[in-house]
Amino acid sequence: MTTPAALQGVKVLELGHYIAGPYCGKLLASHGADVVKVEAPITGDGLRHRGPFAGNDPHFEKSVPFLYLNTSKRGITLNLKDEQGSALCRELIQQTDILVENLAPGTLDGWGLSYEALAEINPSLVMVSISNFGQTGPYRDYRASELVEYAMGGLMYIFGDASREPLKHALDQAQHKAGTYAAGAALMALYYQRRTGQGQWIDVSIQESLAVSLRDTIGIYVYQGAVRSRPPADNKGLGRVVRTSDGYIVPIPYGGVDWEVLANFLEAPELMADRFQTAQGRLDHAQELHGLLEDRFKEWGASDLFHKAQEWGLVFGIVQNVKQVLESPQLQARGSLTEVDHPVAGAAAYPGSAAIFSATPDRPPSPAPMLGQHTEDVLSEWLGLSSEHVRGHRDKGIV
Amino acid sequence: MPLPLDDIRIVEMGQLLAVPHLTRLMADMGAEVIKVESTIRLDPHRGDAFYGNNPGTQPWNQAANFNDQNRNKLGVTLDLSKAEGREALLDLIRLSDVFAVNFRPRVLQNLEIEYPTLREVKPDLIMLTSTGYGSTGPWQNYGAVGPTTEAASGLSSMTGYPDGEPVLPELPHTDYVAAEHGLVAVMAALLHRQRTGEGQLIDLSQAHAQTATIGEAILDYGLRGEVASPVGNSDRLSAPNDVYPCAGHDCWIAISVASDQMWASLCSVMENPSWCQNPKFNSNESRLAHSEELNASLGNWTKSQEAGQLMHRLQAAGVSAGAVATGKDLLLDPHLRERGFFEAVAHYPDSGLPALPYVGRPWKFSLTPGQTRSAAPTLGQHNHYVLGNILGWSEERIVGLEQSGVIGNAPLDPPTAAPLPLERLLELGAIRQADGDFESIVRRIIQAPQ
Repeated sequence: MTTPAALQGVKVLELGHYIAGPYCGKLLASHGADVVKVEAPITGDGLRHRGPFAGNDPHFEKSVPFLYLNTSKRGITLNLKDEQGSALCRELIQQTDILVENLAPGTLDGWGLSYEALAEINPSLVMVSISNFGQTGPYRDYRASELVEYAMGGLMYIFGDASREPLKHALDQAQHKAGTYAAGAALMALYYQRRTGQGQWIDVSIQESLAVSLRDTIGIYVYQGAVRSRPPADNKGLGRVVRTSDGYIVPIPYGGVDWEVLANFLEAPELMADRFQTAQGRLDHAQELHGLLEDRFKEWGASDLFHKAQEWGLVFGIVQNVKQVLESPQLQARGSLTEVDHPVAGAAAYPGSAAIFSATPDRPPSPAPMLGQHTEDVLSEWLGLSSEHVRGHRDKGIV
Repeated sequence: MPLPLDDIRIVEMGQLLAVPHLTRLMADMGAEVIKVESTIRLDPHRGDAFYGNNPGTQPWNQAANFNDQNRNKLGVTLDLSKAEGREALLDLIRLSDVFAVNFRPRVLQNLEIEYPTLREVKPDLIMLTSTGYGSTGPWQNYGAVGPTTEAASGLSSMTGYPDGEPVLPELPHTDYVAAEHGLVAVMAALLHRQRTGEGQLIDLSQAHAQTATIGEAILDYGLRGEVASPVGNSDRLSAPNDVYPCAGHDCWIAISVASDQMWASLCSVMENPSWCQNPKFNSNESRLAHSEELNASLGNWTKSQEAGQLMHRLQAAGVSAGAVATGKDLLLDPHLRERGFFEAVAHYPDSGLPALPYVGRPWKFSLTPGQTRSAAPTLGQHNHYVLGNILGWSEERIVGLEQSGVIGNAPLDPPTAAPLPLERLLELGAIRQADGDFESIVRRIIQAPQ
């Protein structure tokens, strides 16, 4: 007997493409929801055409980001621009608990799939729409990329060195954040729907997903009139990364550390000089201090330094690259990596979800669906259509 | 007005961000959140960014980050080392649905509040532990904060100026990412309990939540053996795609050209200068190959433009572009204001704070919109309400607890808060500007009709 998953029995339809919608669907799938991803026939999710590709082979079943973001889902194709296609979609939506979409605002309206229309056929539907700037407001139809979201979401201005251009994180943090908030919001609305029978529409903005999580940035203006900026490279606080003999560590306790413990740990009695004993003194002599500490750190390997510091109760961090993450004993001990074998792209270790549930462990991931792989299964299971019926739709290019 | 989580009660023992942000979002959507604090060890968020940069007599009630992350919550202080403090906590857990903590296993063990003990008190309890690296495995007792979990997650190793050292943002990004994933996990567990009546323990690893958002890079190592390193702002997929200097001090615009058509539109906004016609730039592939030269020419043009105006002109022409916004820019942004993203929050009189705007939520619910019902609690503000009205303890007993120091309204050992003057922060480059008239600017933000 398999243990039940937390979201067992929850039916999710994903009209998602690229990052944010699919990550939302992936999170729901990892907790056991039945997630059906709808793609356009022939081309599929645009992400299928974005590299890198497994084996450097630009094949639409081998896009690495697509493979990761669509685990544990079933995939069907449906031509929503065709009236019969959108009618089939409406029938599926009658069976759906949560509809996830991240198309440009207004796109679904054009296909007769607006929330208003869908709520008429399924009043308990929870629909979550993720978009660049939300479904309302003067920037609703502005175009954006991950980079533009970082700029307009406020994280970029305070990120990087004062003397250089502002930076963003690698890859697509803003879109992942929006996808995660969307999954949380959809589940809150589903919780309410289970209590009352009432569904609703949720509007998630990627820009606001960044702006809601900016410590010290909006608040410090409201409280002090101060505009935060990027700190000079030699005067970073939280974000200081320091080189060791073979990698980087993050020696957080510059601010609040027990200074004597640090001095003893590093066997650096010079740190006990009077001028370093107060936060103010350490700021005033920052350059000298950084020089002193960095000389010490260079005598260590990053891993030794990290683990030894933790033994001393010092909250140091270690910068791990993706290979080191994969090989990390902590991830391995928590069973957080699963080998997934995709029929076209091949096998690799996939990181699993962040939490371990005592009663409803996450489902081990199944590979991302191949384009249209489950069309017949899903149309038969959800709508009771026969294979012949599905074949008829296929001949007409609807599925 | 009904709210999605208005039948949920949460006991939170969190500090800083990872747990308080999660429960703040749930509180906004209707949950009753009781924040349990200590008068011996204050939440570090009570210790900085004071109103007017002036600690006053009760700095712990005037701190921006604490007040941002803890509104809509009830605040109670309990000394858990004393029998009655522990009894109050267990009684509260008995009456609650969720217990959310960010203590390491060793601390939970010392306090004797591990899941098996609490499950006896409340059999269908959902308990969330949110720790740096998870509550199992060899690193379970390692100390962590946002930047260290971000470093361990793999994200930092790819973030930075091209081929340079790793760069961390000056804020605990991973704490938020962990809170977001924690919210999904707690809601999944609540739905399971709603269906089956069964509670459970959720052991969340903050670093691993962050790793889950860079899964494609982890997979890329497995499938191609590629170890990613910093690439700056480029996604290596299209060009131009970077930030460019604009007129004024430290003003920038992000421009992302995703197609040849967008490139043509950008050129036409620039009035087709001759360098645009260079065949080097006539396809995405070729623009990528010559992106250094391309970026230099484009930056040379943007540097005489005003960032905000240029963003609107480019967007009108269908080009993906955005001015790099400061905190103040966001507060004054017409789009965010029209969407009602900022909410005016009236503070409790004893905090000494005026009504102030705070960021809202990243979502809008059509039927049950969230709301800020009350400001963050001052230290121990709801001791009487929580112990008296929720637990039904007598007033006499509560006064006794005050006298014996089990509960209290002031830190036992008040911190000596000595914030650096803003002039010094300007000098150090931590801030770029300090507006003396910010109070009237902020007041206008919450008074203007939205």
